Amino acid sequence: MTEPILKLEQATIRFGGLVAVNEVSFSVAKGRLFGLIGPNGAGKTTCFNLITGVYAPTSGQILFQGRSLGGTKPHRIAHAGIARTFQNIRLFGALSAVENVMLGAFLRHRSSLAGALAFMPSNIKESAELRERSLHLLEVLGLADFANHRSRDLPYGKQRRLEIARAMATQPTMLLLDEPAAGMNPQESVDLQDTVRRIRDEFDMTVLLIEHDMKFVMNLCEEIVVLDHGEVIAHGGPSDIRSNPKVIEAYLGEAV
Amino acid sequence: MSVVPPSIMDHAPQVAKNFWPVRLASIVGAVAFAAILDQLVKSAGSGLLAERMVTLAALYVTLSVSLNLVNGITGQFSIGHAAFFQVGAYAAAIFSMQRSPAGVDPNLWILGSSILGGLAAGLAGLLVGLPSLRLRGDYLAIVTLGFGEIIRNFANTQAWVGGAYGTNVAPKQASVGLAILLAIVSIAVCRNLLRTAHGLPFLSIREDEVAASAMGVNSTFYKVTAFVLASVLAGAAGGIFAHTEGFISPRSFGMDLSFMILTMVVLGGSGSITGSAVVAVVLFYLPEALRDAPALRGPVVISAIVMLIALTASVKRMDNFHGGERKRQWLVGLVPAIGGSVVLGLLLSFVPDLAKTNFEADRLRMVIFSLALIIAMLLRPQGIFAHHEFSWDWLRSRLKRRTA
Amino acid sequence: MGFEVLGLWAAVDVSTLPQQFANGLVTGSIYALVALGYTMVYGVLRLINFAHGEVFMLGMFAALFASWWLGFGPNMIAGAQGNPLILIAMLTFAMLVSGLIGVGIERFAYRPMRNQSRIASLITAIGVSLLIQHGGALFLPVSPPPSIREDVNPYRSNVTWQILPKDGGLLEKVKLAQINADRATTALNDQMKAEGVNSEFDLSPASQPLRQEKSTQDRALRDAQQAADQSGVNVTLSQGKVILMLTTLFLMIALRFLVMNTPIGRQMRAVAHDFDSASLMGVNVNKVVLFTFFVGSALAGAGGMMAATFQGDAMTTFSGLQYGVKGFIAAVLGGIGNIPGAVVGGILLGVSEVGVTAFGMSEYKDIIAFVILILVLLFRPGGILGSAKVEKV
Ligand SMILES: Nc1ncnc2c1ncn2[C@@H]1O[C@H](COP(=O)(O)OP(=O)(O)OP(=O)(O)O)[C@@H](O)[C@H]1O
Ligand SMILES: [Mg+2]
Repeated sequence: MTEPILKLEQATIRFGGLVAVNEVSFSVAKGRLFGLIGPNGAGKTTCFNLITGVYAPTSGQILFQGRSLGGTKPHRIAHAGIARTFQNIRLFGALSAVENVMLGAFLRHRSSLAGALAFMPSNIKESAELRERSLHLLEVLGLADFANHRSRDLPYGKQRRLEIARAMATQPTMLLLDEPAAGMNPQESVDLQDTVRRIRDEFDMTVLLIEHDMKFVMNLCEEIVVLDHGEVIAHGGPSDIRSNPKVIEAYLGEAV
Repeated sequence: MSVVPPSIMDHAPQVAKNFWPVRLASIVGAVAFAAILDQLVKSAGSGLLAERMVTLAALYVTLSVSLNLVNGITGQFSIGHAAFFQVGAYAAAIFSMQRSPAGVDPNLWILGSSILGGLAAGLAGLLVGLPSLRLRGDYLAIVTLGFGEIIRNFANTQAWVGGAYGTNVAPKQASVGLAILLAIVSIAVCRNLLRTAHGLPFLSIREDEVAASAMGVNSTFYKVTAFVLASVLAGAAGGIFAHTEGFISPRSFGMDLSFMILTMVVLGGSGSITGSAVVAVVLFYLPEALRDAPALRGPVVISAIVMLIALTASVKRMDNFHGGERKRQWLVGLVPAIGGSVVLGLLLSFVPDLAKTNFEADRLRMVIFSLALIIAMLLRPQGIFAHHEFSWDWLRSRLKRRTA
Repeated sequence: MGFEVLGLWAAVDVSTLPQQFANGLVTGSIYALVALGYTMVYGVLRLINFAHGEVFMLGMFAALFASWWLGFGPNMIAGAQGNPLILIAMLTFAMLVSGLIGVGIERFAYRPMRNQSRIASLITAIGVSLLIQHGGALFLPVSPPPSIREDVNPYRSNVTWQILPKDGGLLEKVKLAQINADRATTALNDQMKAEGVNSEFDLSPASQPLRQEKSTQDRALRDAQQAADQSGVNVTLSQGKVILMLTTLFLMIALRFLVMNTPIGRQMRAVAHDFDSASLMGVNVNKVVLFTFFVGSALAGAGGMMAATFQGDAMTTFSGLQYGVKGFIAAVLGGIGNIPGAVVGGILLGVSEVGVTAFGMSEYKDIIAFVILILVLLFRPGGILGSAKVEKV
């Protein structure tokens, strides 16, 4: 459980004059439930974007399973085994819930595109398999009843869960969740904690998540990194973080 | 919350028990259908005109269904589809120049031309698509627009293919059967794609490219694939077109044609194969029908245009009202719209110059066309068929409801 | 192949390159004016205004009508001279008309589509463009294609700048050759007089060498003259074209001032930076968008007026197409959304087109625009001055 699966080394990115992430270093052990927190605009989402290849770091390195991700295209990173959800939900709105998940599952397809154009048996069979698997994932996330609903029409909380299902369908080794509980009521939030824990245990994934809901993070995460103004200001277990004066100051500063 | 209306993807297809016999039968069926239609049109006795019209309509279906693959299904914005049609047609023409078609069965020859045209256009599509599709945004629109104009201007200056005047293509023959077969192939290819999981990466790029790449979709690959596939189909249509007309010139492949194809896709409902095909046929015959329509007086034209605009505005306004108020607002909106434009027309008929002006329907064609385009977009931006597809299940349920 | 290319180089008279460059600047100025409109609208709305070429074309017609009303109608008897005031009136009118048409298009065609998909608004834009082209042909005088009367423009004479003087030694040689040629001519004329014939071809066979001598000396003179001419470098442009460039320059400086130093300019930049935030911050987005359309379209109108007046372009309702496409390519070359980029792109495009013509490949003039476009997209997708924007995720 101790070998790091993901490692950030002095990762830095600037947008014009703004240094959104500044020499951030931390590593995530395999199988961890890892939290990334910090006040608004701290650079958390930007960290995710660096890890998933949406932006290339200005300097520094990101290693996944020992290999550098620098400059790798997002779709390659997904193939390497990192999947994510988005803070501002990015579902395929016109597609049904199950189709959204199938697109995730499609990452591991084997049949050929030419075969699909000719509607070959291997493609038909595979499509049916992907659908089965996707329906199963929808069940895990409690969305079985909504499989054929247009994803755009789902309520907010369900859309967040659907994003998780879609990411899980790519069969990643590491799952990045950007504010998965945002906009959920307390009960939904508690349910989600159970789901995330179950995902880690049953599907054997490492989870890195961003969340503003402190209760959620403290209950769920085993290890936490706190960012402020693009820099790491604290790193440790939930109890360390809760009592860290720097963290308290950063959050108080936000309230002012 | 609504369940997604019946679309092609709706139920997982199963491999039929006797898959290969069924497949064979459907291929034979398609060929037989094309051949029978070919014979029917030829023996109908209405002469060459009918053959040409049916062929062209089928080619338009191919063009519009193939562009739908890029614009509707993959969500990119290509606006110079005529260029690939042109590349196909010129490839066929050049081939017929180099090798004499004499002594070869014309149908076979045209089939060869069509394949050659498809290959040439596919190559052009790769050259145009690869640099522009790597980028996000509207670059494809610019590049395809530019490419369309430039390839046409280029043909204008090349004397060896007839320059601006154009060149004859032998053998001249309207291949109704081939054109229909090509249309069937285009529709089948798109439909197959959407019925398997391989359609999803294309659709996901349309919906959200960032999310699609995060889920492992190589968006450049799929965009270029869609684009090249569409170019191949358009080029194949071009090959058949060259022989149908027996003569091609750069003038046949202008922006008008590109925009016409684009309109077919958008009016049909971006993404809907059914819509693209149906609207292609309708929009192809509509201007032909207008060609022989009588000339219209100036005041009539102006008041008709004003009426259209006013009607559009008032229908658009309806979105803000519901229930009983809506009915009242219909009257408030429509009556002045119609009345006002009629009065305007009467008043204008006192303007001597205008009252004398005649507008040939042929000249008005593009005006009506562009107005229809704008109005359709304002009233129903998602297109007539939206992204629905025709299916037998849908028809059956519809009929059942009717009889019940 | 390589050999042909070398041959091409040999065919180019290097001393004409500055002249070609100047011609390129003239065309490029117009492209730049058109490109500015595309870039500004794209900057604030992320919309390609497909009807922009038509706005340019209507600017041409507006200038035409203005010239008619100011006494230079199609049936006027020749002889009157235009004056600067008339030109200014035409320019103002063209800019005003184009600006208002741009505003109208925004208000009635684009604004209702703002919440729809981008494809829907692009289709609307194409619809508007087609409507203006074909609808305009119903009402505007287009056959035969009218053009603005030459005599509206009093600045038709040429100005010449000497960039490099002619080589002194070569000029000496010209003088020498001139003397030789004169001498041979005199000898020939004398002989003709002596024999009493009117044409040199009637001379007796014995006098034929004199005739050959004259033509040899004449040819030597011509060669010397050409060598001397090529050693000097001149640029000649009509005054009108100079005015065209100066006006463009002035408009660009004015635009820069407007965007950088005025409150509305600041708002424009805010909206371009982030549409939603700007509207949340209390910027009246609709007003800013309308204003942007007005300014961009007015610049296109100015381009249309000048193309019609100083270049004498004849106009049909389809005249905007060519300039529209080129202007758009120019905007992309420079980096769409980037105002100085539009100017750089326009000039670059104009110069390269003229350059291609200078190499005797005028048939490839339109292709070069496209080739450059593809190259830029391949190697600098954001354009020359633009930076490839990263989308916020
Ligand atoms: N593409 C971009 N271009 C310019 N600035 C950016 C970009 N992406 C992020 N930023 C800036 O970087 C900073 C960090 O943003 P980020 O989204 O990472 O914050 P966050 O920690 O996720 O905050 P929140 O909790 O509000 O989601 C912000 O100031 C943001 O405006
Ligand atoms: Mg964030």
